[in-house]
Amino acid sequence: MARAIHWERNEDPVGIWEHRGKVVLAGAGHSKNTDRRWDGVSMDRTLGAYVVEAARAAMDDAGISPEDVDGIVTSAGGQPAHMSLGSQWGPLRPFFDAPYDSEDGLTYVTAEWIQKQMNLPNVQYMNSHGETVWNLIGLAAQVVGDGRCEVCLVPYPNGNIEGRYHQNPSLEARGGAQWSNPWGWGLSGQGFVFDQYARKYGTNHERMAPFVVQEHANGLLWPYSYYAQHEPGPFTTEDYLNGRWIARDLSIFDCDRPVQAGACYIVTTAERAKDMKQQPVYILDHTESAFTPRSLVQTLDDTESWTDIQAKRSYAGSGLRPEDIDVFAPYDGFAVFTQYFLEAFGWRGVKRGEAHDFCADDITLKGPNPINSGGGNMGTGRMRTVFITDPMEQLQGRAGDRQVDIKAEVAVTIGVLPSNAAALAFSTSPD
Amino acid sequence: MAILLSFDIDGTLELGDPPGGVTIDMVRKAIDLGFIVGSCSDRPLSSQRRMWASLDIEPDFVASKHQLGLVRAQFDDADAYYHMGDRDTDESAAKENDFGFWWHTEAELEPWLELVNSD
Amino acid sequence: MPRPIPVPDAISKPFWDACNERRLIVQVCTMCDRKQFPPEAECRECGWQFHLEWLETSGRGTIVGFSITYDSRIMAWQEEQPFNNAVVALEEDPEINFFSNLPGVPVGDVPVGATVEVDFIAVSDDQLIPEWKVVE
Repeated sequence: MARAIHWERNEDPVGIWEHRGKVVLAGAGHSKNTDRRWDGVSMDRTLGAYVVEAARAAMDDAGISPEDVDGIVTSAGGQPAHMSLGSQWGPLRPFFDAPYDSEDGLTYVTAEWIQKQMNLPNVQYMNSHGETVWNLIGLAAQVVGDGRCEVCLVPYPNGNIEGRYHQNPSLEARGGAQWSNPWGWGLSGQGFVFDQYARKYGTNHERMAPFVVQEHANGLLWPYSYYAQHEPGPFTTEDYLNGRWIARDLSIFDCDRPVQAGACYIVTTAERAKDMKQQPVYILDHTESAFTPRSLVQTLDDTESWTDIQAKRSYAGSGLRPEDIDVFAPYDGFAVFTQYFLEAFGWRGVKRGEAHDFCADDITLKGPNPINSGGGNMGTGRMRTVFITDPMEQLQGRAGDRQVDIKAEVAVTIGVLPSNAAALAFSTSPD
Repeated sequence: MAILLSFDIDGTLELGDPPGGVTIDMVRKAIDLGFIVGSCSDRPLSSQRRMWASLDIEPDFVASKHQLGLVRAQFDDADAYYHMGDRDTDESAAKENDFGFWWHTEAELEPWLELVNSD
Repeated sequence: MPRPIPVPDAISKPFWDACNERRLIVQVCTMCDRKQFPPEAECRECGWQFHLEWLETSGRGTIVGFSITYDSRIMAWQEEQPFNNAVVALEEDPEINFFSNLPGVPVGDVPVGATVEVDFIAVSDDQLIPEWKVVE
């Protein structure tokens, strides 16, 4: 049933989204546990099991039954370009009895797998091509708005298995790698852009500390955060400044920690949500962007230009202005991404080069500028779902200890990479 | 003879994530025998301190994984230095700073006890 | 140290062959007057392949920034850590970049803004790759 559809809003001028305010987030659910990795033994803690657990929680949250679900839009592997995280379980290791007799359910989870395991009888539309969570929600919002389904289950898996992932033992550099691997180029790309940023704006890596420390503090208040569950103590400036370098100026504490968890959302029409349990969060817009560097490497100029294009597209699509955004959640999968997105969107009037000054001021939850009130990936682990769940809960007024003191009526969330992003705008009102 | 033992946590100590085979009893025994004992891990320093505090152990040092050189400088009168861990990063950190190195699977056998016995 | 060796393909072979002759070449689209590196099957601007030619460069550039790799995912490089990762912008078209480890430059002492000149180093018995050295 999955088929290629042109759903992305990535060509300017995008115009106001045709389904603005007519599609909503009606529920959210998470696997109870967020693990560092799957242990390869516990069949109740597989990625598939966690996605099913999250889907049931999301349906309970929205107050719907399995019969109500007529669509499943998921991101099989949780990553860009439809990859799954890390290496595959097979073929070097044996698979298990059904339903774990293939990768599906272990390192990625398709809509078909979910439908079968959950025995959802009325599913008419399935699509497993959602990529990262922002694109995923955008895709789901578009298919619901277009009428392909009405009550859409939107699971998001993010898995991790044992071993150091992405390790490359090859002495042959083929394809794109022939231009980078002979010089050992890799995460140095992020370090290089930060180096250019620091030179251009007269800042340095130490000035990232207030942001990362605050994200950890916020994340400890989210029950599904890896850190809340496994390392519940405060993360300090001293901790940050003593982080091991990965690729200067990127330390281990600028890199998100891979974890194993499942999440799920219910996306439906505003009309249908009237009968559901939670106050709906209206989706005002989704927009996407993807860029390729002019030559070998993404530069700071590229990064600023690309994020500017995405920000303008997002504002054009939602009809919002920077001053309309109360809750702002820019991705931090490498912590440095946040400053590029923040400056592009100009939230709270932040201009290019001002992110570190902004974060050195009051960015606490109870202050005027609670950026990433959910804690981001730095504060929760690499689930990415806090970038949907936290804005949603802030707008619904049910973020508990994380609830911000400022007005929370409009939220914008953006991720995953400056080179490959999607932005979503949410509101408490359809208008 | 003063011998310094640096323990990685995750994948090495029993309360790491994943758990390793080096038990806290082994660590306590090493402390009782007079080894200089601490942790060197990718965990934040505060997290390492909290771990030791929860065990009611006062470590001689905590360090990030790239800081073995600082540990060596802090205890420059020790006679021998050993780090143990489960990752290539542990092995290379040890090598770079002229520490002896035991893989986590070797460390489970408490090889440091032989150093005492041979003293 | 063994390092990953580029494996030329149909599109990149002229580039790597030129490296073996100690020449640094990039593609140019004669219709768009646009240089292109890494090489591609078509001009990214006009989409045509028929106007793509190879052009020898000045072999000079400027260091525009750098990183230092401490924990590479490329296992062959892990023995060398930490090492410089500089980005060089080509003199005649600064939007064209090359990577360099700046052999001989101490780790972290990368002179951003300095002029560099291409050099070639062997990564195997039959393949040279471009490297760069700071011009005094």
